[in-house]
Parts: sequence; structure tokens; C-alpha cells
Amino acid sequence: MARESSFNKKSRIVLIIVLGLFSIGQLFPLVWLVDFSLCKSGDVYGANILKIPNPPQFINYYLAWRDGKIPQYFINSIIVNIVSVLLVVLFSLMMGYAFVRMEWKWSNKVLTYVLLGLMIPIHATLLPNFVIFRQLNMLDSYFALIIPYVAFSLPQAVFLMTGFIGSIPRALEESAIIDGCGIFRILFQIILPLSKPALVTVTVTTFLNTWNEFIMAATYLTSDKFRTLPFSVYNFAGQYASNYAVQFAVMTIVALPSLIVYIALNEQVTKGVTLGAVKG
Amino acid sequence: MHKVLSDKRTILLLVLPGLLIYTFAILFPIILSVYLGMTDWSGIGRPNFIGLENFKKIIFTDTTFWKSLRNAILLALAYVFVQHPIALAFAILIDKVGGRAEKIFRTIFFIPCVIPVVVTSRMWVSLYDPQYGLINKILDFLRLGFLKQQWLGDMKTALISVIIICMWQGFGWALLIYYAGLKGIPEELYEAARIDGATGVKLYTKITVPLLKPVIKVNFTIAIIYALKQMETVYLTTNGGPGDASQFLANYLYIRAFNSYQYGYANAISVLFVIACLAVNILFQKIFKPENYEF
Repeated sequence: MARESSFNKKSRIVLIIVLGLFSIGQLFPLVWLVDFSLCKSGDVYGANILKIPNPPQFINYYLAWRDGKIPQYFINSIIVNIVSVLLVVLFSLMMGYAFVRMEWKWSNKVLTYVLLGLMIPIHATLLPNFVIFRQLNMLDSYFALIIPYVAFSLPQAVFLMTGFIGSIPRALEESAIIDGCGIFRILFQIILPLSKPALVTVTVTTFLNTWNEFIMAATYLTSDKFRTLPFSVYNFAGQYASNYAVQFAVMTIVALPSLIVYIALNEQVTKGVTLGAVKG
Repeated sequence: MHKVLSDKRTILLLVLPGLLIYTFAILFPIILSVYLGMTDWSGIGRPNFIGLENFKKIIFTDTTFWKSLRNAILLALAYVFVQHPIALAFAILIDKVGGRAEKIFRTIFFIPCVIPVVVTSRMWVSLYDPQYGLINKILDFLRLGFLKQQWLGDMKTALISVIIICMWQGFGWALLIYYAGLKGIPEELYEAARIDGATGVKLYTKITVPLLKPVIKVNFTIAIIYALKQMETVYLTTNGGPGDASQFLANYLYIRAFNSYQYGYANAISVLFVIACLAVNILFQKIFKPENYEF
């Protein structure tokens, strides 16, 4: 790489050490959390900043799993997220195509209307949506989360998809149309495979946003039945108020899925974040 | 060709599902909120229309509303003047380190941003705990024990403590956006400057920072909007307290609606909140025109 050639080995090592120290600093709270999740609960009161768990208290994780209702909440999170992400991907692909390639008078106006959603903070819809969902008997259901999750993910997804579809050369579609293909075959057999990089970005960013979402879930769900994973952490403060180790174990478990998805797909997340950054 | 692409029924089929769900869950509620904001509704029973009464009350007599706005501005200033210079410096360092290390560090610094806010917020509640928290332990360790505090529970330190959490959570975001901006600066410009005799820090002040200007603008605006929208962290740590020391707009309207059952009043705050966000956004679009980005 060009940038490395002008840069000697010694100062690179110094740089790595500096960055290493700072990233340890940035991650230290998480290390502390995981460390004490493996200790006995009272250990956290000691003077030590970190403590070697001896022996590691895996029972904390068992209690967290069982009493944090992790399996139940996890399944709810999976259902809500898979449906939301699939709908966002499908709708943004369809809308992206209609806005970029189809010929209709209102195209630009409707696109502007959808992109307006980028400016609206979710918190402003919490109160009215609560009233609407209550009126429609929709509170406390998967729909009460899926609908707003899809709605709020769409503007950014449409923004990404219109940008991407616009960059696909028209030649393939033109010949397909001459061969007599309908729009839906073009959309799903030509555009869909070509849009894979954009769709992966949409998938990952939507997933991380909705998976970690808490305020809407806290507002629209009133019973335990449909609650999502973040509630494991939230509920625990009462039952295990003084058992910090188990609380920390719950937090570690809840943090893991996002962390795994991020590490596995970090290129796509990085793209999603930097592209999303220009959304305004 | 034209016939296929302008078929009205197909267009409707493609656009309608998304459009309906978006209108139902975002636009319609906002309009409803404008109406509810003009009532004295408590959340049950029938709403009474009272016109702009709530808005007058909020703007002229509600000190918590203004304090929430002030706190958001303080958070925005902390982002822009504390978090961003550090994030930019580290983005430059990461860009410079190259090779595998570059990717690893980029990944590490973003980790706090992908962890659910419920976890990071609760974690910070523990870190700040006066009895067992890491912060006080570190102060003890550094022989600065006299600085020990009840961080989140004290009027004097609650806001700054919440601001520190927010800066920690968002650091990776700011860094990543600067980093992406740096990647867009062509290497030839540096080469040319080096031939002209520029070295070290000069290279950065004369080339990197000026060329990064659009990215800096975007990043600043994102930070300001983020500060304005702040809710989750504050809800999960201090809930605005003690008193209204660390209150933020979104959290405040939530409390008014669900703790004090002033639904109409809360909706009025919500409307002002949307207006503030729109204003910042429009200002931002005036300053910065979008460019084309490639995958």
C-alpha cells in the first residue's frame, strides 16, 4: 500500500501501541462487565478493578438464561426481526425500482414524501402510535412492533436502493423487456441478484437497529408475552437487584447476538453506517 | 418498453404496500399528534379542544422544556468539541496504520455502537455506582478518592455523567464517518504536497482537514440531531433526574404522557420536538448538498 511505504516500521509499532491502549480503554467497561459476570456476586464490592474468577461462576449464566427468560424473548426477537427485515428488503427493492426505473408523473414527489421520514424522530410517534394501536387493539402483538419497525427502516432503505438501482446499467432490462419479460420477472430475476450488495447492507443495518430497539417495545408491549430480548436486561433489576453477577451475565448474553452479527458482517455494517450518514 | 415501464397497476403494486405502512406508522401519527397537542386529554375519556394553550404554556412557563433543550445543546457541544476532535485524530491514526491492524482497530472502535443501548446504559449505571462502580474504584486507585461521587444521583454531576455515556456510545460512529471521509481523499494529493515539501502535521492541516470539510459538516449535523433526539440512554440511566437535571426532550414528553398522564400536553411537546428536528435538518441540507456514493 502506498500509505505504508512512506512510513517506517518503528513509528508504525508506536502507532499500534497507542491505538491498542486507547481501544482497550474504550472496551474496558465491557471487559469489566464480562469479568464480574463470572465472579461471585459479592466480589464486585472488593477493591480490585478486575478479578480472576476462581472458579468461574457459570451458574450465573444458567440463572440469567433461565430467569431472564432468554429463550422466550429471543424467539420473540427473532420473529419480529425476521419479518421486519424481510418486509423492508422486499418493499425497498420494489419501491426503489418504481422510483428509479418506472415512468410516472408522481415519482419524484412520492419519493420525497418517503425520504421525509429520515428527518422524523421515532420518539415523536410514540404517543400517537400508542393511542392508535390501542384503538385498533394492536397493542401487545408482534404487529405493534413490526409495523413501526418497517415504517422507520423504509426511508433509509429506499434511499440506499434508489441510489443503487440507479447505478445498474439498463441494457439487461431492455433486452428482457424486448424478450417479453414482465416487471416482476425483471425485478426478481435481474435486479434482485444485481442488487445483492445493497440488499445485504439494508439487511444488516435494519437488523441491528430493530434488534437493539427498546423504547417502542417498552411502549407498545404491555404484557410479557411478546417482549423482545432487551427486556431480559430491563426486567432483571427487580428480581436480582443485588445479584450483580447474574445481572452482568444477562447483559453479556443480550450483547452477544449483535456482536456476533457485527463481527461476521463488519464490512457491510461499515458501508451501511457510512452510506446512512449522508441521509441527513 | 415505455408501455411496460409506465403500467399504472404495476407501479401501484410496487409502491403501495410500503407507502401505506409508512403513512400509517409515521405520517398519520404526527398529524394526530398535532391535534392531540391542542387538547387537554389525559389519555382516557374524551379530549377537550383547547387550541394553542399547551404550546403557550410550554414556551412561556415550562422551565423543564427549556432545560431539556439546553441539555441537548450541551450534549451537542460535547460531541462537536470533545468527541469529534478525538474521533478525527483516531480516524487519521487508523487510516495511517494500514494492513490488518487498520481493519482490526476500525472494528474494535465500533463495537460499543452495535451493543444494545439497554446493555450499555445499564452497564454505565453499574460503572457509576457509588458502592461498587468502576469509576470510583479507578479514582481510588489513582489516589483521587476525594473526587468520588454518586455520579448519576447527584444534581451537580448527573448531566455530565450522562453526556460521558453518550460520548462513549457514539464515539465509533463519529470515528467511522471521518474514516470513510479520509478514504475518499486521493493519495496523489498527499504525494504532490510531499514533493512540494509539506511534512507531518502540515500535511494534515493543509490537506486532510480542508478536504474533509463536507464530511465534518455532515458529522456535526448528525451529532446535533443525535443530541436533540437523545432518549434511550437517559431513560435507562437517570430518567432525567435528579429533578430535571439531566432531562432531554424526548424523555420529557414520555414522562409527561405516561407518568403524569398529560397526554395532550405531551403531544404538544412532541410537535415542538419534531419542528426542532426538522429545522436542524433543513439547515443541514442548506449547508451541505448530497453527493453520489458508490458501493
